[in-house]
Amino acid sequence: MDTAGSQIILSIRDVTKSFPGVRALNGVSIDVRRGMVHGVVGENGAGKSTLMKILSGVYKKDTGTIVFDGKTIDHTTPYESMHRGLAIIYQELNLVNSMSVGENIFLGRFKEMKGMRGTHAKARELLDSIGCKVSTTKLVSELSVSTKQMVEISKALSFQSKLIIMDEPSTSLTGEEMSLLVKIIHQLKAQGISIIYISHKLEEIFDFCDVVTVMRDGNVIDTKPRGEFTRDELITKMVGRTIENEYPERSRQVGETLMEVKGINTRKLHDVSFTLRKGEILGLVGLVGAGRTETVRAIFGADRVRGHKVTIGGKPVTIHNPKQAKDAGLGLIPEDRKLQGLVLPFSVEQNISMASIDRFTRFGFLIKSLEKGIGARHVKSLGIKTPNTKVAIKNLSGGNQQKCIVGRWMEIGPSIFIMDEPTKGIDVGAKYEIYLLMKEIAEKGGAVILISSELPEVLNMSNRVLTIYDGRITGEFDPEHIPADVIMRAALGLGGAS
Amino acid sequence: MNKVGFILKDYLVLLMILGLALVTAIIQPKFISPANLNNIMRQFGPLILVALGMTFVIVGGFIDLSVAGTINLVAVVTITLIDPLGQVGALIAGLVIGSICGAINAGLILTSGATTQAEALFITFGMSTVYSSLALIYSGGSTFHFWDLKEMPNMFEAIGAGSVGPLSVSFVIFLGALALLWIFHTKMAAGRAISLTGGNKTAARLSGVPIERSIVLIYTIAGFMAALGAIVLFSRVTTASPVIGAGFETNAILAVVVGGTTLKGGKGSVLRTVMGVLLVILLNNCLNLLGVSSYMQWAARGAILVFAIWLDNRKEVQGNQL
Repeated sequence: MDTAGSQIILSIRDVTKSFPGVRALNGVSIDVRRGMVHGVVGENGAGKSTLMKILSGVYKKDTGTIVFDGKTIDHTTPYESMHRGLAIIYQELNLVNSMSVGENIFLGRFKEMKGMRGTHAKARELLDSIGCKVSTTKLVSELSVSTKQMVEISKALSFQSKLIIMDEPSTSLTGEEMSLLVKIIHQLKAQGISIIYISHKLEEIFDFCDVVTVMRDGNVIDTKPRGEFTRDELITKMVGRTIENEYPERSRQVGETLMEVKGINTRKLHDVSFTLRKGEILGLVGLVGAGRTETVRAIFGADRVRGHKVTIGGKPVTIHNPKQAKDAGLGLIPEDRKLQGLVLPFSVEQNISMASIDRFTRFGFLIKSLEKGIGARHVKSLGIKTPNTKVAIKNLSGGNQQKCIVGRWMEIGPSIFIMDEPTKGIDVGAKYEIYLLMKEIAEKGGAVILISSELPEVLNMSNRVLTIYDGRITGEFDPEHIPADVIMRAALGLGGAS
Repeated sequence: MNKVGFILKDYLVLLMILGLALVTAIIQPKFISPANLNNIMRQFGPLILVALGMTFVIVGGFIDLSVAGTINLVAVVTITLIDPLGQVGALIAGLVIGSICGAINAGLILTSGATTQAEALFITFGMSTVYSSLALIYSGGSTFHFWDLKEMPNMFEAIGAGSVGPLSVSFVIFLGALALLWIFHTKMAAGRAISLTGGNKTAARLSGVPIERSIVLIYTIAGFMAALGAIVLFSRVTTASPVIGAGFETNAILAVVVGGTTLKGGKGSVLRTVMGVLLVILLNNCLNLLGVSSYMQWAARGAILVFAIWLDNRKEVQGNQL
């Protein structure tokens, strides 16, 4: 690999960026060479997203220089950088759902394309060039995430991009879709296009990145050709400490039945019943939309579901809303952190304390000193990285935000903790800490219901796994002794329930 | 974003108030005459009370267009109850009716499953017309005057025109309401729940915050404060007509938003609303003194509202980090 040979397309020198109370980037320097896939890894909050947003023009840098394709870039807007040949494909793809594929690729440039006929013809050409067969007249809302990514890549190519930044592109891709993406990446590389590939997944980094940059706490820790990194070295540099295992050892203190759920029936769920035991981590495995989230929402009283029976510790309980669920000893980390978990304009402290307001209220009045103590306690015990507890939670990274939600419930101390995708978009270090917490809850005699799209996570953490397909429970497995593919078959509705 | 810029934006309203007052005082010295200042203090009365109630609705993530209808209804019912119930009885009845109007709004919003500001806007707009027509039906379209009553209602006269030391009675009522509402919002659990409801209804609900209670509270407070505003208003003009509240809903929303409480919900304060009302009233007063036509004044008010919303959205863009 002649990483030193090719010409530098993007040179970032000593770039700093601060937000009120947070130093997001601290003199960052990176060189990206032509035709290379440049991996950027780091925990959430390491500064990757901030750096990319500076490159695309969403943020302005405080100091430092950026030279792209021979030209110094000072101020820029997302639109200008696209035209300059620097494209970003965000995790939460930026497409207009109600428009067609072709229209999305040439959005705002129909005139240059000589009308819709030219637009669709040129779009076809671009899509073909990366081997994507989707019709250009199809609405984007009907596409899978993977196909949407192809559309985004075609859009980037339509601007003659010289550098394409991909921000966590694999988050919602299946294995097959992923190998297609890898193929396209190789193809782009062969055309001399550089790619910055941001990811948490080390497999991907080792699979196809040429050069890897590790970032931590707003600094570049190291940049080396991939071959010179070992896996352990990479992890150590990312988290700044050594992590021996990705998962803690399974807890083994499963006791008697803690909760019994009988007969959840909705339009989507069909007679869902199961038991949960003390000290247990119960995994729910299924495709997105199979009914995993609906099941836990029904139990938690988040959706209007009636007719099922829930008993906790042998006593029947009525849960018609989340307040009753909380009082019955349940806690929930919801699926969508931003929309369902956080109150973004509010402070870290207020976000942590919001489930336990009763605990620092006397005669209707808030005791602010007690609230401060609650906030400080969980920031400390969970190692939440924040300048202080008064900053708005929107200034924190995803992993730290998630820890705040965990802290919110730890204050209540629920005996049954429901976690819906608790580690989505969170880095290795924070993930491990959340795993340890799960284990701790279970070992203290509580129980955890874990939903995750990452199969290894569920299989390694759970004592027992239920598979859900099309609103029905299709199997119950001991993940320690049953191979993953058997469990996956049940989750895909292919039979084989034990 | 530098700190100076943030502070400037946060206190822009205050700076605008000072600037406006200064310019007017220089051009038209009558502005700082005791008569005019007294006039401003009295104008403050009804609008600020309505706007303080409206602050809670907006902080809670909703909006209330029904306050105009509530004022109409409370004004005509209260004044006609003075003879049969006595002054204190009529006052209490008026406040209760206002609160009930608010609670009905909340009930409709909850039972209809409305969750957005837009839905609340239309529901309360509908209820405003209902309350207004009730006022018209009840009054038969006629206007009631203090001098038609069996005897002069001296308590209401005092509310409208009396003084406590250098302050007007309506100003004292305002100070009392402000103190209570400020304590309620910033020091009490129910006030915090309202802010959280406005900040993110879903997240608040999933954390077991009683958002239904918040919705009932914000609309009941808005109804109560509208009723208090209605009483101060008809006491000042010694007359209650069934259309006396027209325009109060938009002026109250204007004052809240101009004060810097975000229409997005969650963040805001009754103290900001005081600044907003001050600006709106000063603007009217100054433009009057400067001889600007009332048509132009409407345009100025509209422009200020749009500017305030623009400013709020700018803050949002810059606060959007990571």
